[in-house]
Amino acid sequence: MITRRSPVFLLAAAAVLVTAAHAVAQSCAMCGNSFGPDDTIHRAFSWSILFLMAAPYTIVGLIAAVVFVAYRRASGPRRGAVIDFRRGRRPAPATGPEGELP
Amino acid sequence: MDAGTFVMPRRPLRPAPPPAAPAPALSNTRLAMLILIGTESMLFAGLIGTFLVFRLAAPVWPPAGQARLPLAVTWANTLVLLASALPMTAALRAVRRDDQHALARALVVTALLGTLFLAVQGAEWVRLLHQGLTLASGTYGATFYVLIGCHAAHVLVAVAWLVATVLLAGLGRFTASRHAALEMCGIYWYFVCGLWVILFPLVYLT
Repeated sequence: MITRRSPVFLLAAAAVLVTAAHAVAQSCAMCGNSFGPDDTIHRAFSWSILFLMAAPYTIVGLIAAVVFVAYRRASGPRRGAVIDFRRGRRPAPATGPEGELP
Repeated sequence: MDAGTFVMPRRPLRPAPPPAAPAPALSNTRLAMLILIGTESMLFAGLIGTFLVFRLAAPVWPPAGQARLPLAVTWANTLVLLASALPMTAALRAVRRDDQHALARALVVTALLGTLFLAVQGAEWVRLLHQGLTLASGTYGATFYVLIGCHAAHVLVAVAWLVATVLLAGLGRFTASRHAALEMCGIYWYFVCGLWVILFPLVYLT
């Protein structure tokens, strides 16, 4: 939705982007360039980041697996048995002896 | 109207009752408990990530001059907590066969074992504090008390939940067909026991 303030916002966003493009790249505390190749802090952050990356996928995957197994083990008709293909067919219209519709 | 005329009895027009909906494969309470455990797991994952940073970055762990964690007592305490999962399983089995006496007894044993775990943990904390290991005595003390303290807080909540469940079981609120609250309590108890299996080797044995 375009409002009166939209051009001002766009100009501000463009100004930020342009100035950011000219900023000198700096490394954060976690950047590999901040530490030596065999630095223990580097190794510690790497393992911690790997662990924290894997954790949400593992947890959500486990929850999904529990839900999946629960639905697979649920008693009742299986999906194949639930679908009644005969219901999809429409009966042919009744016709008279000459083929005309009633 | 003469007496020989047959009159149809008037029956009110009622819509046919809808067919009973099949029970969901995963009840809402179980789904809610799964989501709760998922969020709790993420909380502990964050704390473990913090611990890993400090643990792997330290050249010597535990740092020199810091009190050592009590291993033998904590091993015994671990066995106590893991053993408490057995009476919880017995309680769930008892409620499924409607054995109220066995249910109450198993729940009381579980609550007592959980309380014993907390008591031993608290006694060890007091000893460590007297030895100078506090929350402010460096990353070693801070990570230990935050991580293990967070687990102890969860065990405390679980024990309180168990006590409430014992009271409800005493009132006969759980039957073979209606015991969702007990089942959720059991799932939470298994969660705190399983969490300790990860935390104990990570914090005490590494």
